[in-house]
Amino acid sequence: MLPRFSFGSPRASWFFLLCAGLVLTPSLALPQAAPSAALKSTDPSPKSAAKTSAKSADSKPVATGPLVKSYGSSGAPIKLDVFTDYQCPSCRNFYQGSLRQLIASDYITSGKVYLVHHDFPLQAHMYSGLAARWANAAARVGQFPEVEAALYDNQDAWGASGDIAKYVAAALPAADFKRVEALVKSCESPAPTSTWDHGDPLARDPHPCAFDYAVRDDIELGYKIPVQATPTYVITYKGQKLPAGSGMVSWPILKQFFDSLLAQQ
Amino acid sequence: MDSDLRSGKKWGKRLLIIGRVALGIVFIVAAYMKMKPEPAMPWSLASIKTSLSMFAMGVDSYQILPPWAVSLVAHWLPPFELLLGIWLLTGLALRASSLIAALMISGFFVAMTSAYERGLTISCGCFGPGEQIGPKRLIEEGVMLLPLALAVCIGAFLAARKGNEGDQSPLEVTVGLGDTARR
Repeated sequence: MLPRFSFGSPRASWFFLLCAGLVLTPSLALPQAAPSAALKSTDPSPKSAAKTSAKSADSKPVATGPLVKSYGSSGAPIKLDVFTDYQCPSCRNFYQGSLRQLIASDYITSGKVYLVHHDFPLQAHMYSGLAARWANAAARVGQFPEVEAALYDNQDAWGASGDIAKYVAAALPAADFKRVEALVKSCESPAPTSTWDHGDPLARDPHPCAFDYAVRDDIELGYKIPVQATPTYVITYKGQKLPAGSGMVSWPILKQFFDSLLAQQ
Repeated sequence: MDSDLRSGKKWGKRLLIIGRVALGIVFIVAAYMKMKPEPAMPWSLASIKTSLSMFAMGVDSYQILPPWAVSLVAHWLPPFELLLGIWLLTGLALRASSLIAALMISGFFVAMTSAYERGLTISCGCFGPGEQIGPKRLIEEGVMLLPLALAVCIGAFLAARKGNEGDQSPLEVTVGLGDTARR
């Protein structure tokens, strides 16, 4: 009852063409799915982020680059996840008194520590969500470190005036600032923040920006820790998560802890 | 009256023993929680050092001491707490041990209150990492631990005073008690 099927026949040729089409279509469609996958990208190399942003420099300010908010190699034995709010004074002290030294140290450059920034803007702070949005937009164009530093260094100023753009502009080359500004200005709804009831940070946001999802992911990860205050840090050593800590830790003490971990066999 | 006095003394002694044992256990548990290795790390000097370094981060977050003092306190406090706990359990030189315990707990209470006043939302670090400073923790420390330490300290001094009086002369004690003298 079944139709005859020989390899040389035209029917077989059509069959093989159909199969090839079915196999190839998803693989051709994959690059279109890449931007959403890039949202969760934790590409450790800022250079690669810069490369990606350079490619898209002439195109429209669409969020397509990987969102890099980390320093060092993801293969490092120590991973330091830091949940911060750009408007919180303790977070600024932690950054200025400890993280800045860590970023410049050989713990990052020689692959001993992998530092990952997570946004946890608090509802109580008026501009922290917006600051996180600026930082994420900057991360999209490979300029996260500069903007992070600018936000903390000028916290009092923009915290009072709400003029974040002024300090981001001062920290970036003009062309990069234009791209970052375009990304931020494309967002119409209020910036996401954490909520006391651990609700969805994007609940009041009908049309979130592409990088608002990254902030939401950070906040939801923070809920799971749970982050009760900022800054909160979680240290993972060789895949083993240590109890979360919170508050400012000075660089000599943090360094001492890393050394004691690295001395483990 | 004599038997009342004796039973009162007996109860006083018992309460003092219970108090110092409880205080000793609190110190031993606090030391253990700070010194025990992190999960998946074996007991070794290196892993204890790591735990103490982690405790140092907790001490540093109080923002009271400079880094060198933080390191000193974090590395010496837990072993000292362990020794103090054992010392309290033995009951030897109780006035000294209970006075040190009361001073230490008062110091912790002041540090915690200061952190809370400054709006620092940090881990207390009292029994290892994770316990946030807040009204609950302050009440636990201020209503339970601090009065316990003070009671043991006062009790130890009172007991020693009565003991000394007993050593001096039975007559002095009798006269001092008044009631007995009238008899």
